[in-house]
Amino acid sequence: MAKREAPEINAGSMADIAFLLLIFFLVTTTMDKDTAYLRKIPKKVETNQPQSPVQEKNIYKITINSKQVIQARDSIIKPEDISTLNSKIKHFYLVNRDKKQNRDIKYPYYAFGSVELYQQNLDNQMNRLDALENQEVIDDNTQKRIEQALDAVSKWKEKLDMAKLYSKYSGKKEMPEIAFEAHIRLESFIDTDYSAYVAVQSEVEKAITELRDKESEELFGISYSRMSAVVLQRESEQTPEIRMYKERMELIEALFPLKLIEVKPKR
Amino acid sequence: MSKFKKKGESGPPAINTSSLPDIVFMLLFFFMVATTTKEIDPLVKINNAQGTGVTDLTPFKQRSTVDFVYLGAPLKGDASKFYKGIAIQYDGILHPDGINHIGQWKIEKFKSKPLDFIAPKENVITCFKADEHVPMGIIFTAREILQDLDFNSIAYAAQEMGNKTEYSIREQ
Repeated sequence: MAKREAPEINAGSMADIAFLLLIFFLVTTTMDKDTAYLRKIPKKVETNQPQSPVQEKNIYKITINSKQVIQARDSIIKPEDISTLNSKIKHFYLVNRDKKQNRDIKYPYYAFGSVELYQQNLDNQMNRLDALENQEVIDDNTQKRIEQALDAVSKWKEKLDMAKLYSKYSGKKEMPEIAFEAHIRLESFIDTDYSAYVAVQSEVEKAITELRDKESEELFGISYSRMSAVVLQRESEQTPEIRMYKERMELIEALFPLKLIEVKPKR
Repeated sequence: MSKFKKKGESGPPAINTSSLPDIVFMLLFFFMVATTTKEIDPLVKINNAQGTGVTDLTPFKQRSTVDFVYLGAPLKGDASKFYKGIAIQYDGILHPDGINHIGQWKIEKFKSKPLDFIAPKENVITCFKADEHVPMGIIFTAREILQDLDFNSIAYAAQEMGNKTEYSIREQ
C-alpha cells in the first residue's frame, strides 16, 4: 500500500486566536502596580499616667497646613521646594553621629555601645533573673519582676548580636546608637491634601532609605533596599541567605531607626 | 522584441504572514507577564498621589493580607451627598456611612478570610487609595477606628514617580 503523507494543518487562523487572547488580556488587566508606604498605627494603651515629655532636641517636627505649606522645625518650606526636606532629615540623624563632645545641643545625641558593655548588661540581667526565680515565695510582684527581667534579657541578647555583627564588619569597637526617643513627628491639618501628606512621607522614606543604603553598602557591600526587596519576595523561604539578610537588615534598622509619629489633626 | 518580457498581470507579490502568530504570541506573553488583573471597577475618581521609594504590594496581595479602601469624588451621582464631597468605596459599594463604616467592613473582611489564613489581625494591611485632594482628616478618623480594633497596619497608596523630582502639589 502506498504511504500517504499526513495532510498539512492550516495554521492561518492561529494569528486570529492569538489576537483574540491578546485583546482579552489588554482589556482585563492594568499596567500599574499597587504601591504604597507601609506604616504602623501604635497599639492603643490604657493608662492615664501622663507620659514624661520628650526633650525638644529629639523631636523633628514637620507640620503641613491646609494650604500645603510645610513647616519643618523653624523653616517654612513651599510645596515646590519640598525636596529640601531630604537633606534636613539626614542632617537630623547625622549631625551628632560619631561625636562624643562638641555636640549640637539641638539634635539627638548618640550613645556608644560595645560587645563588652552589652555582654555585661546581659550577665547582670541573667543574674537578676536567677535570683528572682530562686526565691522561695513567688508572689505577684515577683512574677512581674521576672517578666521584666525576661524582657530585658531578650533585649540585651538582641543588642549583643547586633554589636557583634557591627564590629565584625566595620572593624570598630563601638556601635553608635541614636537616642531612643529621637523621632520624626508629622502633624497635619484636617484639610491637608492627601498628596502633600504622601509627598512628605515620600521625602522621609527617601532620606532614611538613602542613609540605610549608604551604611549597608559600607558594611556589607550590598544596599539595604536590595536586601529588603529580596526578603519581601521570598519571605517564607528559610534559606541561610534570607536569614543572613534579615539579621543584617535588623542591624541597619537599629542604626537608622524610622520612628515616625503621625499626629491626629486638631484643626 | 525585448528580452525582458512583462510577466502576466499577477499584481504585487503576497506578503508572507506565517510569522504573524509568533509575533502576536510574543506580545500576548509580554502583556500577561507585565500586567496584573483588575480587582474591581472603581466607583470613585482617583488621581494617584506620587512619591519615591514606595513598596510594591504584590507579595501582600498574593498572601491576601491587604484590603483596599478607595477614597475620592464619586464618578456618578451627587458628590454633595457625601462628607466633604468624598465618597468611600468598600469593595463594590459606596457606603452611605462613609468612613465610619470601615471598622465593620474590616471585621467582616477578616472573618471571610480562608480558614488556613494565619496572619494575625494587626498584620492585615488596610491600604488607603485616595485621590490627591482627599483631606487627611478623613484618613485620621479611619486610623482611629482601626486602632481601636487592633488593625495596626496601614498603607498610603502612591505611585512611584521614578526620577522626576516634582511633586504635583501646589500651594492653595
